[in-house]
Amino acid sequence: MLTLNNVEVMYSDVILAVKGITLTVNKGQCVTLVGGNGAGKSTTLKAISNVIGPEDGRVTSGTILFGDRRIDNREPSQIVAAGIVHVMEGRKVLRHLTVDQNLLVGGHMERSGREVRRRLESMYELIPRLAQLKTRTAGYLSGGEQQLLVIGRAMMANPELIMIDEPSLGLAPLAIEEVFNLLSHLKQNGITLLLVEQNSSAALSIADYGYVMENGRIVLEGTSDELRNNEDVREFYLGLNVEGERKSYREIKHYKRRKRWLG
Amino acid sequence: MGEFLNYTVNGALIGLTYALVAMGFVVIYRASKVFNLAQGELVVLGGFIVWLMMIQLDLPLIIGLPIAFLCAGIFGFLIDRIFFSRMAGQSVFAMVMVTIGLMILLRGVVLVAFGAQVRQFPAVFPVFPVIWGDFLIPQAMLYGGVITVCVALGLAWFFNRTRAGLRMTAVAEDHQVAMSLGISVRRSVIIAWIMGSMLATLGAIIFLSNRSISFITSEIGLLALPVALLAGLESIAGLILAGILIGIVQGLAAGYLDPALGASVSSVLPFVIMLMILFIRPTGMFGWKTIERV
Ligand SMILES: Nc1ncnc2c1ncn2[C@@H]1O[C@H](COP(=O)(O)OP(=O)(O)OP(=O)(O)O)[C@@H](O)[C@H]1O
Ligand SMILES: [Mg+2]
Repeated sequence: MLTLNNVEVMYSDVILAVKGITLTVNKGQCVTLVGGNGAGKSTTLKAISNVIGPEDGRVTSGTILFGDRRIDNREPSQIVAAGIVHVMEGRKVLRHLTVDQNLLVGGHMERSGREVRRRLESMYELIPRLAQLKTRTAGYLSGGEQQLLVIGRAMMANPELIMIDEPSLGLAPLAIEEVFNLLSHLKQNGITLLLVEQNSSAALSIADYGYVMENGRIVLEGTSDELRNNEDVREFYLGLNVEGERKSYREIKHYKRRKRWLG
Repeated sequence: MGEFLNYTVNGALIGLTYALVAMGFVVIYRASKVFNLAQGELVVLGGFIVWLMMIQLDLPLIIGLPIAFLCAGIFGFLIDRIFFSRMAGQSVFAMVMVTIGLMILLRGVVLVAFGAQVRQFPAVFPVFPVIWGDFLIPQAMLYGGVITVCVALGLAWFFNRTRAGLRMTAVAEDHQVAMSLGISVRRSVIIAWIMGSMLATLGAIIFLSNRSISFITSEIGLLALPVALLAGLESIAGLILAGILIGIVQGLAAGYLDPALGASVSSVLPFVIMLMILFIRPTGMFGWKTIERV
């Protein structure tokens, strides 16, 4: 459904943040993209939704296909209209608007007022927490509530694919659970998910397939079971290793890791 | 006592015209984060178009005003297209420099097209003042006050309740987030310039009705600045309160302080207030305080 072929993304025509990545998200799947800080995960999502313009970034080579249509460097509004919505990193609610208004903005492309109201109703059914907060100013919600709100706002566009960037960042375990419950619920309802996470164990628990990104490249991919059982993933991203102690990331030489991953 | 009330009411009404001019400023600022220092020049330009339609071409009100608003909208559109659409992503500083350039350019255009003479502005509103007991209020000011409050309510409704308005509010909050929701930031900014330019023309009509117009009239743009800053640059409803407040302070100063001191304290007072706001509370009184949750 979504295919990236050798996509390169540059900021300011000098910083190559994504160095030719290839990945596929199939319909109805949940695919996760994990990796450390600065790996290029957010950049990849911003390249797909094409909201990197304000940061002076652009896709410099490769192709992005949604279905069989090229969507690279298209207007963000066309990409949303095509059925992809990007939930950006950092719980970007519209802080001065109410929960209701935030959701309405999410559904702004729909011309029929009745359809928008129907979506709003079903959104409050899907996320009852938000129903109690309808008239509250979004900026004053708790982190967990804001995360639910931005996911709900994305759903208001009636997308086929939602890309979510680090929904668990900075949330308490209980709130993380609530967010991931919502995500698996969406998945059950047939929404395709592309999930970027640092919290790999949570991500792998709902994902079907995963990619590990490092330094702008994909260094490892596999089904979530394969990744969960992979020694390096256990060590670097799940914080487990055979001896039961956590090794520092830098201790193992890069070539060795690559060899093991590729072999 | 009657005198005091007269100064207060007239001050408040004049303050509302500042608020109306500030509204155009705020609408543009919200969408584009451009601090448009040329707002006063837009008022003069709009005023001269009205003058052209109604005095030079002698068109009736009902035809002249719609054409003037249409022209204002087109000017707003062109200003955005020519100066700001290619500036997307530039620093705020660069944008402000462009508005200074725009200010000088528009002033030049007005001087070339309409000359430096002082011209009589048409009486859009009835000329004779309303007299209520002790009160003596110019009708233009009275109508103007009512129109300003209605426009503010209308804009607040537009930005909070309608699809197009909510899009513009989303753009006002965060361009990138708005884009991620499929909102065209470009289009919102264009609409904001069109609205800002039309509001400037409306401000000209109310402020100038039955008075005179010349390129100096652009000073009203400066008086709108303290109002916009006091209101906090984002709040439309706040502009009404801020306008009334500054107008009353200025009106009372003009009535009591100026004669007593033999100096024009009233004309600097709004700017003293503006500096005080900038020192004490740069986000204004009613504006969007940055809501931060950690
Ligand atoms: N606006 C920008 N301008 C220039 N370089 C940028 C910009 N944003 C990100 N980068 C660089 O691109 C690289 C990838 O950043 P990106 O934000 O995509 O990483 P990430 O994988 O999302 O990391 P994190 O987990 O910390 O969010 C980093 O080296 C970063 O410094
Ligand atoms: Mg990131």
